[in-house]
Amino acid sequence: MKGIDVFRYSFSAIKLRKLRAALTTLGVIVGIAAIVALLSITQGLQATLTGQLNQGLSANTLIVMPSSGGFGGGGFGGGLGQGASSTGFSLYVNNTAEIATLSPDIEATVAIISRSGYVQTDDFSRVVTFYGVDFERYAQIYPTFRAETGSIPIPPQEDQIVIGTRVNQPGQNGTIFFTPGDAINVSWVNATIIPPVNETYSATVAGVLEKVGGFGIGGPSDTGVYIPIDKVQSFFGTEQCDMIIVTLTNSDNTTITNVSKAIADQFSNQVTVIASTAVLSLLTTVFSTIQLFLGGIAAISLLVAGIGIMNIMIVSLIERTREIGILKALGMKSRSVLAIFLGESVIIGLIGATVGIGLGWGLAVIVAQVLGSGAFSPGVSGNTSGAFAITPLLTPEVLLGALAFGVGVSIIFALYPAWRASKLKPVDALRYE
Amino acid sequence: MSVQNVPVVEALNVKKTYMLGKVPVEALRGVNLRVEQGDFVSILGPSGSGKSTLLNLIGALDKPTSGTLRIDGVDIGKLNDNQLANLRIHIGFVFQFFNLIPRLNARDNVELPMSISNIGKAERKKRAIELLETVGLKERMNHKPAELSGGQQQRVAIARALANNPKFLLLDEPTGNVDSKTASDVLGLIQKLNKEQHVSIIMVTHDEKLAHQANRIVKVFDGEISADMVS
Repeated sequence: MKGIDVFRYSFSAIKLRKLRAALTTLGVIVGIAAIVALLSITQGLQATLTGQLNQGLSANTLIVMPSSGGFGGGGFGGGLGQGASSTGFSLYVNNTAEIATLSPDIEATVAIISRSGYVQTDDFSRVVTFYGVDFERYAQIYPTFRAETGSIPIPPQEDQIVIGTRVNQPGQNGTIFFTPGDAINVSWVNATIIPPVNETYSATVAGVLEKVGGFGIGGPSDTGVYIPIDKVQSFFGTEQCDMIIVTLTNSDNTTITNVSKAIADQFSNQVTVIASTAVLSLLTTVFSTIQLFLGGIAAISLLVAGIGIMNIMIVSLIERTREIGILKALGMKSRSVLAIFLGESVIIGLIGATVGIGLGWGLAVIVAQVLGSGAFSPGVSGNTSGAFAITPLLTPEVLLGALAFGVGVSIIFALYPAWRASKLKPVDALRYE
Repeated sequence: MSVQNVPVVEALNVKKTYMLGKVPVEALRGVNLRVEQGDFVSILGPSGSGKSTLLNLIGALDKPTSGTLRIDGVDIGKLNDNQLANLRIHIGFVFQFFNLIPRLNARDNVELPMSISNIGKAERKKRAIELLETVGLKERMNHKPAELSGGQQQRVAIARALANNPKFLLLDEPTGNVDSKTASDVLGLIQKLNKEQHVSIIMVTHDEKLAHQANRIVKVFDGEISADMVS
């Protein structure tokens, strides 16, 4: 029997039981859609994060932090880092000079003090993260530390600050709160004395940063408020810094390793030196794990769909026992019977996978939009919208993989029923009522 | 022996034993039969006589337990499943319950054996229409079996059986499920095919009156041939 005739016959059998075929296909659709949606979101997220990290963290950059609780304790992302490790070790702003002399491969160093606080005017108040940095050196290290309006004052006046674009425009809807020259109150709750005291000083917005679009460890942030390092030290009453960014003259692995080791040795291994390459590879590892995990969960749903296919094929096989007998009596070979049954599952798998890929992609786009709109932004206060845009990514690998997986699962679960159908003896099959 | 003289069916001491649970049942106990080309033979017997077993063997649906059964000169006992399937293409089986595929219309049902034997779409369409015209159902060819009467279904089944120019037509109780008027129509068609187109006919029935319409009657009783006579 010719392939096209086998296919036509399979299709006529599917058409006969439309609802049943549709429900079976739905199982495949759901499974494939889940896989495609989850993978394209995580891949998009990974691409976004990697891209932003690459932007915020060039390959020749090292981050030195007190080795306490890793990212959290060091004040990653603007937590309540105290710049001190649990062992009592602290990094100080003036350690930058010390680090700079450790290797000829070191190009520049800059200390960062970060604190949570809030900024306010008469009609505006929001929680932000303050970053105390040396504007000049920081701008040299991070090209994204660039003003869209106003300027980065070098050297800055004591009261001059630079704000991230989302501080200025929290809703990202065109409503701008500050123009350069505006006054702004900078406040923090000093909890180092009892009872805690609200401390405030009046600053001037010197510049608003260009949109950075993401985050990097130490790099400029759209939700950050940048204050001259001297001012921060006196305002927060501390010499301790949360991290020191070190740039190197090159990004060779040996340079990174050697300088990292030299810095760690200098501070008796009480600091953690993070190379951006290491962060990126860590990120890749984490994302591979997440993808494997999510993909695995989605694959289970497809497995369930596969069992559904098998179930329905066995029912179909029993219902059509007599038909199989007729076909065989008319001279149809076992392999054609097998092909007809497999053909039905291939059709179901193909339709299911195709629709599922479309649906999954649609879901990914919707989810990305909801996340990007800030509806689920991590900012606790609601107005520190820390959301960033995810563009779902549907790689050809995922697309073809999902198609192959959908059809593959359909075929695998149809193998047994199809094999049983093909092995039916014509005499027995014809006698079947 | 020239090609012309090869019998369409030749059974030599054919035995068939079934296992009914753990009890062996001897359905055929040594059948000898020879059907020549152009014959119109009735195989007559009551139920349980072994005639259905014989029908299945002649239809190449099953193999004998012992003995030799040649269909068109080929010993079916030596064929594998694929070879048996190829042989069945050349046997025009007409089932008792018509056994048309319900979802296919009359024409598609007649085309089915031709699609199994790899005949191209245009050719099988043309032949299916010719065959349906032969059995007088050309104008009903787009109807599904459920939209056809029993006699019409039976005629579609005959057209389907003729599709691949079979060596012989094998009919199982051809009038068992139709009224007497239709039965005589169907029988007339069978006789016409035999006389005008020289199609060999083997008709299995328990109906003595029907059996006598053939040129030759082979009576089966208790797994053996009890009589072989000219009608």
